[in-house]
Amino acid sequence: MKVLLVEDDAALAKALGDALRDAGLLVEATATGREADYLVRTERYDTVILDLGLPDGDGTRWLSQWREDGIDLPVLVLTARERWSDKAAGFSAGADDYVVKPFETAEVLFRLRALVRRSHGRAHPVIRIGELTLDTHSGSVTLAGRPITLTAQESRLLSYLMHASPRIVSRAELAEHVYNRDHEPDSNVIDVQISRLRRKFGRGRIETLRGQGYRLVDLEAQA
Amino acid sequence: MTPGGMSRPTRWTRRVRLAPLGVRLLLASLLLVIVLLPLAGFGLTYNFRQSATASFDSRLESQLNALLAGIQVDNLGRRLQLNRSLGDARFDRVYSGWYWQITDGDDLMLTSRSLWDQRLPVPAHDNGVNVYAVDGPRNEGLRMIERDIRLPGHANEIHVALAGSTRELDREVGRFERLLIMSLATFGVLLLAGLALQMRWGLAPLRRMSANLRAVEEGEAERLDTQLPAELKELALAMNSVLERDRRLIERGRAAAGNLAHALKTPVSVLKTLSERFPAEQRQPINTELARIDDAVRHHLARASAAGGAAFSGRVSIAKAIEPVVQGLARLAQRRGLRFESYVDPLAAARIDPQDLQELTGNLLENALRWAEGEVSLTVRQVDQGVRLRVEDDGPGMTQAQSEAALARGVRLDARGSGSGSGGSGLGLAIVEDLMALYGGTLRLERADLGGLAADVWLPVSPVSPHGDPAPGGT
Repeated sequence: MKVLLVEDDAALAKALGDALRDAGLLVEATATGREADYLVRTERYDTVILDLGLPDGDGTRWLSQWREDGIDLPVLVLTARERWSDKAAGFSAGADDYVVKPFETAEVLFRLRALVRRSHGRAHPVIRIGELTLDTHSGSVTLAGRPITLTAQESRLLSYLMHASPRIVSRAELAEHVYNRDHEPDSNVIDVQISRLRRKFGRGRIETLRGQGYRLVDLEAQA
Repeated sequence: MTPGGMSRPTRWTRRVRLAPLGVRLLLASLLLVIVLLPLAGFGLTYNFRQSATASFDSRLESQLNALLAGIQVDNLGRRLQLNRSLGDARFDRVYSGWYWQITDGDDLMLTSRSLWDQRLPVPAHDNGVNVYAVDGPRNEGLRMIERDIRLPGHANEIHVALAGSTRELDREVGRFERLLIMSLATFGVLLLAGLALQMRWGLAPLRRMSANLRAVEEGEAERLDTQLPAELKELALAMNSVLERDRRLIERGRAAAGNLAHALKTPVSVLKTLSERFPAEQRQPINTELARIDDAVRHHLARASAAGGAAFSGRVSIAKAIEPVVQGLARLAQRRGLRFESYVDPLAAARIDPQDLQELTGNLLENALRWAEGEVSLTVRQVDQGVRLRVEDDGPGMTQAQSEAALARGVRLDARGSGSGSGGSGLGLAIVEDLMALYGGTLRLERADLGGLAADVWLPVSPVSPHGDPAPGGT
């Protein structure tokens, strides 16, 4: 999961960023609304964490601009504001959920995962595709009830494919959502990691569609 | 003096001192009328009686002169006779009230027929013409004029007296008095009515001002109308600037509390996030302290926000005030995959600061959304003397002990485990309780029809004590 963290307080950006990275998320951070605006329009993120008090304009202003321009990626608002009139302003600007400072990382993670899940049209926290399951909260993967150990990168890759399944996901899309913008991989790297995943739970589960991309399939349903 | 005797006049003077202006002015003019009009009446009656008596006396004197002119002494110089009648029949009718008599020392020489066998008293007197009030026959009040004269051809000085009954004089004065009393009474009533009207008109700006003040107090007006007479205008302007300063102070207080809270929250967030890296036994005390900071900040921020709320709030439409919160949270519920149903009576209204109302609704709904499995509902209805606001969810609900704990400040309820990750605290409900104390409402926690918790709030249409203090800070 690739997250854009928009937070002007350097200490908080670092602490929260590190905590989210530890949880296996890909986090890119920016301190200004202007840069966030640029990134949101040029990069692909699964979700945005937006602090409302930014040095260059209120977060809600940027948010409503994005919504007006049809950018509908899920946005989690981070607010120190207690007044409901302020929170309500955040909602009407187009926030999907909010977390009030001071928060626990667990809550931010919980909200983020739920947002991303729902943006893929999934309501249940456990995604089940055939015998393969992913608990979006804990990040644990099981195959026929047996836990499977994955590296962080593999986990992100699989998570994205499972969220998207049965949609076909292009290499470019995978690269954008699963890898950091500074370390964008060549397609080889993705191929290598896909084949590692295939080794861990069977060849047929991840199909390669030539010229289009990858698709995670429900083997058990096909059988 | 008994204590009772002491206290009565004090109470009375206090009541007079604190009487409304209109009553004071009316009392003053009533007193004036009661004292002045009778005084004027007495004065007028006295003068009238004086002048009526004077004219009566001059009539007596002219009759005395006529009498004197008719007196003759006979040739012997001994007997007196009247050579012509006074031309007034009253002197001939017995006891008619009009008499004359001529005496020579103690010897009676001549009397009018009306005097019959009686005599007029002859008081000790000086020379010249004198007038006395005397009692005549049948104890009738008379005015008597008398003088001593010396007649040519008569040895002694003779004494001539003429008297007329004061009956007519009294009757005339009485008639005048009756007329005067009637006139003065009418005058007094008209005067009081006029004064009352004048006061009404004169005090109208004051009444307008006090109605205006009430409107400000009830939140129907922001400031006092200054279209007033000069003296009051100054007062209204001064009041307005006090009101303005009051509002600014409240605003500044709110802003300062908000800024402080805002400034504290980010570092607390950082510390909290950093502490998560520590082992559990080290994290625990840090988190406890951070929670205390957070609770204190929230509590005092909520108090500062609520502080000025009730003082100047007018009647607000509940539906309109909470619409943004309800809409925002409906959207949130949808995102979280929860069903959210709301019914808000469009006519429901109460005297409450819109921000406080949003706070109330927002906190209750937020709580419900946090715990709900699949459904949350909000109902707002106008009930007798108040507004009922009920938020239900289908979550796990609360036991009696939990409800009590939830209402206690600072008790954290997020014991749901890290799986849900629902951070947050019972403070939402504590703030609701603060607001209830401020507005004189009630909060009940009970089992919901949906199965979970129902938070039932009753708010009076008008707060009992708009200047009440929220519940004392426990931390």
